[in-house]
Amino acid sequence: MTRLQRRESLLGWAFVGPATAHLALFALFPIAYAAYVSTFKWNIANGHHAFVGGGNYAFSLREQAFWNALWNSFRYTAVGVPLGMALALAVALLVNQRLRGVTIFRTLYYIPAISSGVATAMLWIYVFLPTNGLVNVVLLWLHVNDKTHTTDFINNASTAMWVLVVMSVFTGLGPRMVLYLAGLVGIPGSLYEAASLDGASGWSSFKRITLPMLLPTSLFVLVTSTISAMQLFTPVYMITKGGPDMTTDVVGYHIYTEAWVDFNVGLASAKSFILLVAIAGISIVQFRLVRANLADYSA
Amino acid sequence: MSLRRWWCVLLLALAGCQPSHNPNAITLRIATWGTGEDDSDYAKKCDAIDHEFERENPGVKIVRETIPEQYVQAMVMAHVAGASPDIMMLDASSAAVFMNNGIVTDLAPIIAKDPEFRLDDYFPNVVDIARRGSAVYAIPQDFTPMVMYYNKRLFDRAQVPYPDGSWNFERFRQVARAVTINEGEKNERFGYAFSNWMPGWVMWLWNNGGDVLTEDGTRAAGSLNSPQNAQTFRFLRDLIEVDHVSPSPSMTAAMGVDPFVSGRAAMTISGHWSLIDYKNAPKDRNGQPKLDWRELGVTAVPHNTPLANTVMYESGYAIPTGCRHLDLAWRYVKYMTSRRVQMDYNSSGIAIDARKDVAQARAVDPLERAFLPLVATARAPRGSRVEGYDFVETQGASAMSSVLLNGADPLAALKTAAERIDLEFAKR
Amino acid sequence: MKEFAHFRHIAKAVASYAAMLLIAGFLMAPFVWMVLVALHPPKSPIPAIDELWPVKPDFGNFGRVLTNPHLPVARFFLNSVVVAGAVVVGQLAVSACAAYAFARLRFAGRGILFAAFLGSMMIGGAATQIPVYLMLRSFGWLDTYAALIVPGLSSAFSVFLLRQAFSTVPAELGEAARLDGAGEMRILAGIFVPLSRAAVATCATFTFIGVWTDFFGPLIYTNSISMRTVEVGLSIYKNAYGGTNWPLQMSAAVIVMAPLLLVFLIGQRYFVRGITLGSIK
Repeated sequence: MTRLQRRESLLGWAFVGPATAHLALFALFPIAYAAYVSTFKWNIANGHHAFVGGGNYAFSLREQAFWNALWNSFRYTAVGVPLGMALALAVALLVNQRLRGVTIFRTLYYIPAISSGVATAMLWIYVFLPTNGLVNVVLLWLHVNDKTHTTDFINNASTAMWVLVVMSVFTGLGPRMVLYLAGLVGIPGSLYEAASLDGASGWSSFKRITLPMLLPTSLFVLVTSTISAMQLFTPVYMITKGGPDMTTDVVGYHIYTEAWVDFNVGLASAKSFILLVAIAGISIVQFRLVRANLADYSA
Repeated sequence: MSLRRWWCVLLLALAGCQPSHNPNAITLRIATWGTGEDDSDYAKKCDAIDHEFERENPGVKIVRETIPEQYVQAMVMAHVAGASPDIMMLDASSAAVFMNNGIVTDLAPIIAKDPEFRLDDYFPNVVDIARRGSAVYAIPQDFTPMVMYYNKRLFDRAQVPYPDGSWNFERFRQVARAVTINEGEKNERFGYAFSNWMPGWVMWLWNNGGDVLTEDGTRAAGSLNSPQNAQTFRFLRDLIEVDHVSPSPSMTAAMGVDPFVSGRAAMTISGHWSLIDYKNAPKDRNGQPKLDWRELGVTAVPHNTPLANTVMYESGYAIPTGCRHLDLAWRYVKYMTSRRVQMDYNSSGIAIDARKDVAQARAVDPLERAFLPLVATARAPRGSRVEGYDFVETQGASAMSSVLLNGADPLAALKTAAERIDLEFAKR
Repeated sequence: MKEFAHFRHIAKAVASYAAMLLIAGFLMAPFVWMVLVALHPPKSPIPAIDELWPVKPDFGNFGRVLTNPHLPVARFFLNSVVVAGAVVVGQLAVSACAAYAFARLRFAGRGILFAAFLGSMMIGGAATQIPVYLMLRSFGWLDTYAALIVPGLSSAFSVFLLRQAFSTVPAELGEAARLDGAGEMRILAGIFVPLSRAAVATCATFTFIGVWTDFFGPLIYTNSISMRTVEVGLSIYKNAYGGTNWPLQMSAAVIVMAPLLLVFLIGQRYFVRGITLGSIK
């Protein structure tokens, strides 16, 4: 290595130093430390500390409450993410047109995403209130309900989860829409022209040009949406607290309760690793599925 | 670049804004639960009491921090982070984690050195809630035993003599049947209003010779799912389903209001706090209150055991370890639990004062006086000894619910609850 | 024939506008409701839809929230501003340096290190919250500003975004400046950052929004009421003082959201460009 190269190398490390140190301290080391903690039965309230090796993992995988949490997270993700993606794509197509003032709408649609999670949760409690909430008022207006039979969506075990799903679609719209817009920009207009010359309909163009060309973007949206959906916390904490009857006890909230209400940090660390593995597994499956589809189209 | 510069400027400007610091002022932080609704009479009274302390101790500022949710969790986390307040209220049914793990200071040495303070000003078994051996971890403020309220007017109407507390389960059932009127919708009067809240029905288990956990509080299996407890569950279920002396949970929900306070049930188990509701009973069509609190009596809960068992719930003042102003904090605790302050504070009538002199002074009517003899046999709640007891209460209510709503077999429901409790306890 | 195509074009535009308005209505309705209810007198019941517009708008609720005698709301605000400001400035500085190194400096191990940064984006917060808490406790940083600021001082996402932006800056500019004797820091600050305004603004805006709306961090890493940020403070306010007092609750929510909206509107001009730069592979 020449002196110049060495100088540049040192410079490079100097510039990247702070960020790397931070990465090591707050991302890499904690993972290792979490693995260490997860091998202990450790309660930070009373300080009990005992090595159990894989005991926490075995316990978690046998614990009905944990499987319930995994199932709730799965339900939430399996419905909320595809729904949110479809809606975001539809909206992206809508605002991708060259109409006057369309950028105003794009900005408006992004606002729920930047809203404070707590504030949005408070609004959501109102929206779904039994008697005067927005949804019930609409249902009353549509004569689906009458004055004596309003629906309490939040305290009802069969509808509480859907309240959260609707909220996720609402707040997730903005970023997904922007990603799809970026993806749409990358599709050459000539493809559509050629298709319309061949007499293809709008729907056909969509199916055969838009969707396939958007696969990379869709994959990105899918994976990032899944990762964040599986770690849902704030709305559950603010609105349902895991209830009613543990139907909205998602893994993020379950781990929070384990670590910060019951103070079993060892067990909670083990559970968060299990979650990590689950998320990684789902992501890999998603990658494979989409890559397979991509291969079909590029052939 | 200009964006970043703006932030730099803002940051520097804010760095210059420091709250003004009086170097001689000491701030005492007092943590308590509840909502901080700041225009209720109770809040105003607390403020006035605090201001008086500040006047008597110049240079001291009292800051009350109300924690509306997850009080226990917040206090434990504060301790773990080294950010505890100077004084914290302690609720007996969740005090275990604090007292078992040295999160609150042992006040016994301080009491020994303080000639002004006398621990036997307070009811001894109430003080015992916060004792561990020779250590005392909190000074009690107020408490209530759980008692059986009865509506004398309904008893008179059915011409049944008032209960005297020496009744067993069977006798109770007969009394309840005698007072119940079951003809038609309008005249329905129930003998007993049962509510599925374990802190309010656990004494039934004790009074049939059963218990919830083993003596050392570590296991539920074998205790919770005992034959006696199953029998007690069957008894309570039959009160609803066989004798029809108590409304079912769905009937109670449909009524929308507590059956006892609306004068539709003759008896119920509750604590002193309910008197507030009973004194503000809902009114009927003629504007008359549906329940006249002067026509109430209290007596001991029915017991198949020789002595009546009941539980008391209590709150008091504790000083977290790591408090930096120990002398001042102790002065505040003494002040708050003094006769002078408690006579004022206790006038809201929610609970019985832990000071014997104040409780006697406030026992001006027969109803208040009827509570006092029941104090001596009241047990400390299990949650003052066993950490995580609230999980036990959730599972207990769940078991009761499955028996009452889904017709589950009591022994099986109790077994499920016991297994879940033991699994949860194994985590710690 | 041409008129028919023209008519279809207009019909499509009208339908699109109608759809966009409808969607905007759905998305904005709760927020509009929030602002309107905040103007109702305190302790009034939830207004029915036809009573939604306040008869006499009461702007005093905002003052009432900020000057609550028992909850230091103004202090929450200050805490959030301090933490957000420090993190935005600090994170931009740290990430810009790293991004510059990845984009324009050659050093041993650059590829592997960048892969490590990318990989760390996959690590969820759930796994690291407990160890970070224990670490912060051992440093004695719990319940201080340090606990809220230091963990946010670098972000792999910002590094990634800025690197993409810096890669598009022509290398010749940097070469020319180097030949003139300028140091690397000068080149970064004087050439690359100004030319990547979109990405920098995007990072700053997203970072600010992320810190301002961070709920979990302040919830776990702070304890005393005086150290809480405005997001956690809002939930305390709702539970302790909001209760059924919807106008005050909503005023508090508006106070929390106003700075967010402001920063977003200022920064959103750069957004699509910023995200596009980041996602085009």
